[in-house]
Amino acid sequence: MPEIVKGAELPELRVGVTRSVVVRYSGASTDFNEIHFSDRHARAIGLPGVVAHGMWTMGAGLKVVTDWVGDPARVLGYFVRFTRPVVVPDTDEGVEVVYRATVADVAYGVAKLSITAECGDDQVLGAARAEVRVD
Amino acid sequence: MPITAEHVGRRYPAAPPYEVSRAKIAEFATAIRDDNPAYFSDSPIAPPTFAAVIAAHAWEALFGDEELGLALNRTMHTDQGFTFHRPLRAGDVVHAQLGIEKVRNRGTLDMITVVVDLVVGGETVCEARSGLMHTRGDDNA
Repeated sequence: MPEIVKGAELPELRVGVTRSVVVRYSGASTDFNEIHFSDRHARAIGLPGVVAHGMWTMGAGLKVVTDWVGDPARVLGYFVRFTRPVVVPDTDEGVEVVYRATVADVAYGVAKLSITAECGDDQVLGAARAEVRVD
Repeated sequence: MPITAEHVGRRYPAAPPYEVSRAKIAEFATAIRDDNPAYFSDSPIAPPTFAAVIAAHAWEALFGDEELGLALNRTMHTDQGFTFHRPLRAGDVVHAQLGIEKVRNRGTLDMITVVVDLVVGGETVCEARSGLMHTRGDDNA
């Protein structure tokens, strides 16, 4: 684990998401809401098209932290607000979500990290934070 | 009758037990594009947010409670938090029990916080807290 000081930035994480990834998450999570595979259903509720699951965006983003601490068992807490959906076009490339994390505090063997998630110009998660054991 | 602050503290019986499997962990880790070896060993732990998959089973009790008049298709998941006491592991048999923690009504909107306790062998291993925004239908607005 690298040096842990307040203000330190973790290496950024870029995660690509295609329709195929979204379908895979539907199966893995058993969340089969139609807005995750049907443009027609997504548009019916005002979305531009198929969107990734909020829980996918949250789940994929924790890797920015676990790659840094190594052992995911060190994660004590994780919180996000779902601010904007990740719209996933029907293309081979899909879209990319860029996650960044900063050490907000370290005390008593616990590091608090603040996390951002960007997709294009959108901040797709808000107030995202994790707590990890670093002793 | 809509959900109100009077329902805070209501708890439902646990969802049917969910057994965590190695195959499901690998499938989930692959779906979130995380190749951490801890998820692919002979005795893997689950990615932390896998807890939401199990917690979602406990949501059925909430949406099945006719007194609350909640409809899943008028509900948005606005925020999600987890407190982890230990990771979920392959072989864990998990009992997920939902409680209503907070309710605020604003016009036709209900802002609800629910907490699902994930319990393995009598020990709470994770609390999954979800913020939900529900729009009341015409029938109970």
